[in-house]
Amino acid sequence: MTTPTRQPAVPSTAAAPAKRSARPLERQRGRLVTLVRGRWLKTVPGRIRGWTALAVLAIAALALALTLSIQDARQGVQTIGHDAGPQVVATGNLYFALSDMDAQIADILLIGREKSLGIGFEESMRRYERARSDAGSAAVQAAQLAGKDQDRRQTVQEVIDGLGQYQRLVGQALTLNEQAQHPAGELPQPVIDTYRQASDLMKLELLPKAYNLTLDSGATVRQSYQEKRTSVLDGRYWVLAAGLVVLVVLAAGQLAMAREFRRLLNPGLALATAATIILVAVGVGVLNAQAGHLLRAKRDGFDSVLTLSRVRAISHSSFADESRYLLDPGRADTYEQNYLDKVSAILWVDPRSQPANLKTYYALAGKAATTYHPGDRSAFLGLLGDEARQARKGAESDALARVLRAYAAVLDNDRTMRQFVQSGDRNRAIGFRMGRGSSAIRDFDAYDEAMRSLANTHSAAFDRAIRDADGGLSGWKVIPPVAAVVIAVLVLVGVRPRLAEFGRI
Amino acid sequence: MPFNPRRGRRAQARAARPQAARARAAQAARARVARAAGLAVLAGAPLVLGGCALSSAEPHSILHRHSLTIGVKGDQPGLGQLVNGRYQGFDVDVATYVAKRLGVPPSRITFKTTPSSVREKVLKDGTVDMVVATYSITQARKTQITFAGPYYVAHQDTMVRSNDTAIRSVHDLAGKTICAVKGSNSWKRITDERSIPAVRVDVDKYSECMPLLTGGKLEAFSTDDLILAGFAAGHPEVHLIGAPFTDEKYGIGLRKGDLAGCEAVNRILTRMYQDGSARSYLNHWFADTGARLGDSVPQFEGCS
Repeated sequence: MTTPTRQPAVPSTAAAPAKRSARPLERQRGRLVTLVRGRWLKTVPGRIRGWTALAVLAIAALALALTLSIQDARQGVQTIGHDAGPQVVATGNLYFALSDMDAQIADILLIGREKSLGIGFEESMRRYERARSDAGSAAVQAAQLAGKDQDRRQTVQEVIDGLGQYQRLVGQALTLNEQAQHPAGELPQPVIDTYRQASDLMKLELLPKAYNLTLDSGATVRQSYQEKRTSVLDGRYWVLAAGLVVLVVLAAGQLAMAREFRRLLNPGLALATAATIILVAVGVGVLNAQAGHLLRAKRDGFDSVLTLSRVRAISHSSFADESRYLLDPGRADTYEQNYLDKVSAILWVDPRSQPANLKTYYALAGKAATTYHPGDRSAFLGLLGDEARQARKGAESDALARVLRAYAAVLDNDRTMRQFVQSGDRNRAIGFRMGRGSSAIRDFDAYDEAMRSLANTHSAAFDRAIRDADGGLSGWKVIPPVAAVVIAVLVLVGVRPRLAEFGRI
Repeated sequence: MPFNPRRGRRAQARAARPQAARARAAQAARARVARAAGLAVLAGAPLVLGGCALSSAEPHSILHRHSLTIGVKGDQPGLGQLVNGRYQGFDVDVATYVAKRLGVPPSRITFKTTPSSVREKVLKDGTVDMVVATYSITQARKTQITFAGPYYVAHQDTMVRSNDTAIRSVHDLAGKTICAVKGSNSWKRITDERSIPAVRVDVDKYSECMPLLTGGKLEAFSTDDLILAGFAAGHPEVHLIGAPFTDEKYGIGLRKGDLAGCEAVNRILTRMYQDGSARSYLNHWFADTGARLGDSVPQFEGCS
């Protein structure tokens, strides 16, 4: 830096500092040129340094690949197990509570002044109030879980608004019903008309929206599952590839050094190689296991829990269609068709050339339900058909068999009830449906209980898979970087004595 | 490199589902870019390409398409009808709305007449990408194709001459002459499923029923209310009796297994009802026909 002062004449004062600052740049450029020219590679210590840098870079890439893949797994578990999964449950509860409200009202209107018929007026009112409160809190929860998703929030808002309108209509129907003091099944037209409005609102607006919310949350889970599981599975290849690169670099270095220095084994590098092999093996193992946990949580747990929550909701709603069929003879056709549509969604057997009506359905579905055996995957379609194809032999298929037997009993009761109506004995039909001298209500409760116990086996499988996944991931935030540092240090320890032979490190 | 198509798909998904999906997509994209950058430095090209190919997009999805071929009816007034070389009707409007939200403007949609009998076939062999053609969702069809929607739930109703007051419910059809279109289920719902002894008059197409009814050769024409309303529009001499007795769920047919496409279409349909488009389409085609028009989003079937 003495050159400028030696120069006799400086043209301008500004030029001097400019030149002074230019010098180090020139020197840097000189170093860069030296580096690129690569003559240093022809020296042994230069080659060792270059190789070391390459090895450290490869190790860093391995750590990065591992960290990112593990992060994918963690996000997948978070979405399925802790975010969207619970949202599906919350919106499922909303549908169920809404459907139950309308079912209780149908029963209350049907029994009229005979207030002890069926589960009784008091019990129905109590259940209605409970369902209303459940619906309210489920709606609040669904609104919270909808987060910033505008469309979903709007749907929840529409359900809440509609619920207010529904309650107003139900209030009117109950008042008219109370004033009429009618015998069971003989509702005056104003009661029927008001209930039709309420029930239409429920069937055409509230229930579809609640149901669609559940489906949409289910879709979020499916997408996240597919994306994350694919990423985790792909992650294995990235980790393997990065690991392979590290091993190739380490092996090449060791071979070269063995030739150069005539030393057979470099303990540092040998240890680094072993550590890399272990890290890759364990990492790939963990990713494999995580993909497995996600698969089990989704297939054995979540899918079935979602399917069964739909089956339960539709079953309750179809059971209420029996009451509606009895209380509104003017729309009996429609309610009968609704019943057939709903039970067909639950369990369906192709009628082929036979007319697709309830009579055919009783015969075909009843037979399919009572003759179910695990392993037969194509006996019937519908939601329970989906479940039959998923259920694993053992606890799940046994629980499903119980559900199907209970379902056959419920169908049988429906047939008997409608036979009474067709033979003109509406009173007997009403008594039968409401459990007077029959097991109609008991059978339905048994069916519901069987469904719940089947759903429980699946939610246990879900919880188990999520727990395993959470457990398998603990510690994996630190393992990749720490392991990488250890391996890098081993490499440096391995090359240090060789560089030392040249007297400078 | 498959990275670009992937990003393209995300951009389109953005249109359908804003916040959460966007955050997730961005995160995943970042992770992927970082990973690629980290490895591309080191690994040989074959390794990188191998890794990418494993995560390429599903092949037959309705998503991220430059253009779409959509199957519609060609002879159903109010729903899908070819008039002077242009398709028009409720189904066509719904299809156009969905395609637009999927990122395909009307100029890149090709409509194709798709009769009922070939709807599964043309979806399977790829002649059309999606079918919007009064296509009822049934359990049997669900085993062959994936249904988005329903975008509308129609109900079987009955159309009679306006001066005929004797027919007020489906049970009044006993002994009356009804139009029985070949391949249609509607008359079976009356004569077979409900065992109502109506008298069948066989015809080949829906459009043949109208002149028979107005000409007095038929007493009733019973099928989905939207189909009837389409025929009744502009014909005050006939009307719907307003006694619906079935639910016909009109779905959008997609290739079997296109779950991501189905879920996206369902969100689009939700939006179509929320922003009032569905209501304006329905009013445009079916107002003043006696059909009771639903203007709330139907209960979706679920993608499978």
